[in-house]
Parts: sequence; C-alpha cells; structure tokens
Amino acid sequence: MSFKSIVRELREMKDGIGNISRRGEEGRNWRNRAQSHIAPDVASFEPSEQGQWANIPPELLLHIIRRVEESETTWPARTAVLFCASVCKSWREVTKEIVRTPEECGRLTFSISLKQPGPRESPVHCFIKRSRDNSVYRLYFGLTPLIVCLVASVKMYLVYLIDKSSFISSNFLGTKFTLYDSQPPSDASIQERSPHSRRFRAKQENASFSSIQEGGTAPTPTSFPQSVGEKASLPSVSDAKETANDVCPRESLVVKNKAPRWHEQLQCWCLNFKGRVTVASVKNFQLVAAVDPSHNIPAEEQEKVIIQFGKIGKDIFTMDYRYPLSAFQAFAICLSSFDTKPACE
Amino acid sequence: MASSSSSSKTGLKKMLTLKSSDGDEFELEESIVIQCQTIKHMVEDGFSLIPLQNVDTKTLTKIIEYMKKHAEKTESNKEEIKNFNKEFVKGSFDDQFELVSAANYLHINGLMDLLCQSIADRINNKSVRAVREIFNISNDYTPDEEEKVRDEHKWAHEGGEFDESLD
Repeated sequence: MSFKSIVRELREMKDGIGNISRRGEEGRNWRNRAQSHIAPDVASFEPSEQGQWANIPPELLLHIIRRVEESETTWPARTAVLFCASVCKSWREVTKEIVRTPEECGRLTFSISLKQPGPRESPVHCFIKRSRDNSVYRLYFGLTPLIVCLVASVKMYLVYLIDKSSFISSNFLGTKFTLYDSQPPSDASIQERSPHSRRFRAKQENASFSSIQEGGTAPTPTSFPQSVGEKASLPSVSDAKETANDVCPRESLVVKNKAPRWHEQLQCWCLNFKGRVTVASVKNFQLVAAVDPSHNIPAEEQEKVIIQFGKIGKDIFTMDYRYPLSAFQAFAICLSSFDTKPACE
Repeated sequence: MASSSSSSKTGLKKMLTLKSSDGDEFELEESIVIQCQTIKHMVEDGFSLIPLQNVDTKTLTKIIEYMKKHAEKTESNKEEIKNFNKEFVKGSFDDQFELVSAANYLHINGLMDLLCQSIADRINNKSVRAVREIFNISNDYTPDEEEKVRDEHKWAHEGGEFDESLD
C-alpha cells in the first residue's frame, strides 16, 4: 500500500467520524464516539489540513478565551468556557490557565471546582431538591444540576452514593456519618451526633483547622486522581478512622451549630438566614467554626457562617457554603442531616 | 527634527507610506498611523516607507479604514464610532482571523480588543463541534482522553441547546 493511499484512507476515516458527530445532539454521541475504535487523532498525519485558525498564536487565543470566561459568569451560560476547554489540547491548556478557583473568583467552572474551597467572603448559593419516590438528592447551582446523590441501603446501613468513587455511610444508630471520597486519605467524618448536640467534623485535608486562621490556606485540588477504580469498595468505619488519624496529623476543622437568639415577639429561638430560608424546620442549620480560645481566632471569624442549610418548600432546600468548605463537603454535610435515624432529633 | 514637529502644527502633515505584502502602497498621515504601536516605533526610528510583510492588501485596507475612523474619535461622536465598530466586525470568521492576526502583529490595542470580543461573543453558545469546524481544528484527543475531559465537565453537557451553525 502506498503512502498516498494510506493518507487517503485516513482522511476517509476522519470524514466518517465527522459524520457520526453530525447525527443528533453532541451530548448523546460523545460516549459512542469515545468507544469507537477509530482514533480521531489520525489527522495529526496531515498537519496541512489544519486551517489558519488552527495556527492561531497562543497569546491571541488567550485574549479570546479570556473574554469568553469574563462574559459568562453564570450557569448555564458558562458552559461556553468548558466548550473552549474541550476543543483540543492547546485550547484546553489556555483555558485552564485562565480559569481561577472558586476561592479566587467565586465561580464554579470545571467539575473539580466542586471539590475546591468556596469563596472567602460571599457564599455560593445552591439548592438541593429531594425526590421522595426514588430517594435521589440533587444539588443545583442555578438551574444546573451539579451533584446527584442516590440513597441506597447496604445491609443495615444507609449509603449515599455521590459519584462512582464517593459515598457517605452512616453507622447503625445514625450518630456518625463518614464521607469517603475517591482516595483513602481524604475520608472524613462529617457528622457526629449525640442526643443533645451535633458536631460536624471535617477531617478532610481540604478543611483543616489551620485554614481558617489568619493567612491560612485550604489545599485546593487541581485535578481528579488519575487511577480511580471502577467501583470503590466499602471500607469499614473503623478502617476509615485509622486512616484518617494516620494520614491527617493536622488538626481537623470542627464546626458547630450557630447559637440561635431568643426572639421576644415571636417567643421562639431564631437564626438569621438572610432571607435564604423561608420555612421553619428542624433541619435548618447554620454552622460556624468551633475554635479553641487558645488559637486566637478573631471573634468576627468565629461568627462567620461557613455553611447554612434550610427549607424553602416541600422537598426543596437552600445550601450556601463558603471557604474553607467545598461544594462537595457542604452537600455531604447536608445529606447527613436528611437522614432519619433513631438518634436524630 | 524641528521641521517635522512644526510642520504638523502648520497644516503640512507628515505623510507615511504603508506597503502591503501584495506590494500595494498606501499613503497616510502620521497622526492616523501612530495608533499602531509597531509602526509608531518604526516612525520614531526614522522610517517613512513601512513594509508590512504579514499583512495583505485586503486586510490592510480594512485596518486603514479602522484607523481613519478612530483617529476622528472625539467626545461627541461616540455613538457613531460604536456603530462603525459594530459594522466593522461583521465579516466572516476567516476575515476576522486575518484582521486579528494583523492587529496583533501591528499592536493596535483597540482593534485587538474589538475583534477578540467579537470572536468570543460569536463562539459563546456554539457547540464544541461547531467551534472545531469554524476554527478548522482537528480533535487531537484520543477517545480515552476525550472521555476524561468529558468527565471533568459532566454537568455542562446535560441538556441545553447549543448553536451548531458555523457563522
């Protein structure tokens, strides 16, 4: 076979792929294409096929994509930024260079930003919708569903499956919930309850205690782990405890309920949710950092609500979170308070 | 040296010649041309005939049109300039590529801003496939890589209507 005929054949293959993608909606075809045995990178044999735009200088591309990023700050319009990152490798690099973390810009972009700490000042406003008939919880940002959680029963434990590598499980009494997230070291117990109090403990690396001290930082993952297994196995709770203690020597961030004020006129205990919660419910809560006086955290910082959760209608709740929690951790904390176990109030 | 500064005051404007890559020459007043940083530096170095190897006649004509209009910019004609800009960016994507590359090469910041914003606006709601086709970029991901990329943006591809057109 001559070189020319190989090139011709490759070109035909490439055209074929183009045709496949032309059928129907892009989204539905992605998986099909990804599983096809035709390698789309055959075009690299023929650099001359690339048009003038393909040779666009990186600094020019940077200017263009930066403008896309700056003009689309809300979802779902922000999809445009992700599309820029999907075009090809060089576009992806440029886009990644431009996009900042939620902590820096207050915006969510790539899926990884769900696991990055939220902004320090104004919280990210999300809401959670519950479908009672199939036990599914969805976390929304605007109209965009961010995380979907299925509730399953494994033996006598309730398990909240978040994605293929993360889940929350409770102990038998429902007094302790543990979040398992992709990699063993980042296990965290997210809620421990006693009949009179709740303690939320974020033992995840992400939200270590030092992060709320002045000038402290919460580690920000920049990519997903590469070697995630198909299905995470269910480690026992005791295993998780050991791992967490061994691997995470840093003092973990402990958060506690914000104390409500007594409202003279209404004759009840109240919390100020700043209009984000409209229905009185036992599930409503606001959490602040529980700090030891010896750590010299300013009173102002101690009063800052890190996460608030509350009811706004039947099966619909708001969830506002901020630094040092990530959307993922905040959602996990909220999920643990949906559970109705004997030990829950 | 003294003559060049005084001549611009007395009405005898200093003229410069720009030469496109096709060999066509355009004579323009210096005050118009110095919007372009690259040429400004060449003028400062004493050039009066400026060869532009990377800019063809068609593109140069457009750029001169832009520079002439923007040289007239005052407080009172803002609206007019705005409309001019709107019309100016109405070309095909290919024309815009030529223009934006030339603006980048010549360092005309205003024009760069205008064109980049216009291109950004035009690709904003386009599907990935449409963007690839418009920019004539071949997908250099392997299927595995593409799936990974896809995974990083799971939520972006669920639902929503995307523009598949190529203009």
